[in-house]
Amino acid sequence: MAVAEKKMAVAEKKTEKAWGKIVDAGLDEGIKKLTPEKIEKVINKALAAMGGARLKTYVDTCIHCGLCSEACHHYLSNDRDPSFAPVAKVKQTMWPILKNKGRVTPEFIRRAAEIAYTECNLCKRCSMYCPFGIDMAYILLSVRRICHLLGVTPLYLQDTAHSHAVTMNQMWVKQDDWIDTVQWQEEEIRAEIKNPRIPIDKEGADIMYSVIGPEPKFQAQLMGQAAIIMNVAGINWTYPSFDGWDNSDMAMYSGDHEIMGRVKRAHFEAAFRLKAKKIVMGECGHAFRSIYDVGNRWLGLKMPPVPVIHAIQFYYELLREGRIKIAKKFKEPVTLHDPCNVIRGRGLGEMARYVTNAICEDFTEMQPNREYNFCCCAGGGVINCGPPWAKKRAISNRVKAEQMKETGAHIVITPCHNCHSGIEDIIKYYKLGMHTKFFSEILVEVMEIPEEFKVG
Amino acid sequence: MPKWPYKGKEYDMDEDGFLQDWEAWEEGMAPELAKMEGVELDDRHWELIRYLRDYYIKYQIAPPIKMLVKEMAKAFGPEKGNTKYLYQLFPGGPAKQACKFAGLPKPTGCV
Repeated sequence: MAVAEKKMAVAEKKTEKAWGKIVDAGLDEGIKKLTPEKIEKVINKALAAMGGARLKTYVDTCIHCGLCSEACHHYLSNDRDPSFAPVAKVKQTMWPILKNKGRVTPEFIRRAAEIAYTECNLCKRCSMYCPFGIDMAYILLSVRRICHLLGVTPLYLQDTAHSHAVTMNQMWVKQDDWIDTVQWQEEEIRAEIKNPRIPIDKEGADIMYSVIGPEPKFQAQLMGQAAIIMNVAGINWTYPSFDGWDNSDMAMYSGDHEIMGRVKRAHFEAAFRLKAKKIVMGECGHAFRSIYDVGNRWLGLKMPPVPVIHAIQFYYELLREGRIKIAKKFKEPVTLHDPCNVIRGRGLGEMARYVTNAICEDFTEMQPNREYNFCCCAGGGVINCGPPWAKKRAISNRVKAEQMKETGAHIVITPCHNCHSGIEDIIKYYKLGMHTKFFSEILVEVMEIPEEFKVG
Repeated sequence: MPKWPYKGKEYDMDEDGFLQDWEAWEEGMAPELAKMEGVELDDRHWELIRYLRDYYIKYQIAPPIKMLVKEMAKAFGPEKGNTKYLYQLFPGGPAKQACKFAGLPKPTGCV
């Protein structure tokens, strides 16, 4: 234990060099309520509840070869500082926890939380290079679960989890605000297309469309764009007026599995209540992961109980079937960022390229790309840990800045909200002079508006 | 935490450029905060900044975008009451720019 603590102190010192000591009341105040006895009790209870077989297999299988190191953007961007290697992150967190059977100090938990919440985006790029395919993200998520149960979570992320618990959406949006926003967007897009409809609570619709909290709260134009696409493509669709409209799930990333499960259940239940044939979700990554990897499993489901289609696949199908036609392709040079949760995690890489080529004239790939693409460094709930960690997040993704710069593109297509905001931050920090766009923003700009929808 | 110098005093500013203490904000700060992002404030910006402040004081949370757009429609006429116009005023959006200039904390969530 003493050795582990000493090593941790060294690691701590190293991190101080780059971004100074970071204050986060969620972590700093959180550990003040802990005692070694409480920690031991909570950890052992948590490990027993988690079953431990998956965790133990991963930890026992790792041969400490270090092949994961070069895969990690934190490691590469911090000049190959060994403490940022994925294996080192496990070594500084789960190994001592298991080895010492939960007998670790509050200071250890503070550092473990910082690693698990802010030095790993759970992007699983390292798993692509691990000879055994060990799921590092699962291990670090398990560390987060323990931190959550100990009450040591980053403040901004915890606020989002609280919002999920209270409102079932991530941005404290009240039901009347939600309904009003949907109806207002229908009014707003009358300037773009004739007689648009955004049906609410339409029973038996082919598609229940779902979004994430920030859309009604601050980015309502994305809901408007989705509605234009739905109307022009002639889709039989609807929004629920009630809880379950938000597909996001930051409780999954804070480690609050109970709330995660409730939020996921509400999402699925909304589709059942509306008798919708499937759910189509907007351009979000973690929400997708929450229904095919983490949230579904917590609910005891191998796969979601109702088909859930990501926006990339939805646009791909609309374009391929000719339900949406392109009037004039987007001219500016673009590149495409592959979000981990939809590309590496779910294999939508070729569909994303089909859509990009269908709507853009000048597309240059990042290198590497598809499932080998570098992470945005915002995902995994890291951007949700808020401003205290923003500089660290930018410094730890220099490799992404270099990768994007090489493409010479002006626009980075980012079909995920976290990637979208995170990459905008990287662009700003490294002064790349680029901009991020969602597919929907470009699609609405270049699609053909049939005569019957033309305004005026 | 970075310090922001303003009129001979230093204010805590977080790593995203938001004032740490929303109560420390005063009107003279807004044009300076906006300048850092290349935005020059005029009456239209001020209408929304004051609305944001009032709303935050009442509800301790930033208003949803629809409230801001409706406020714009009231102040400048219906043809300017739309999301596109709001984003022309604050290219970084209501969360990351309007709140920042108004001295409010960065909203939590995927923003």
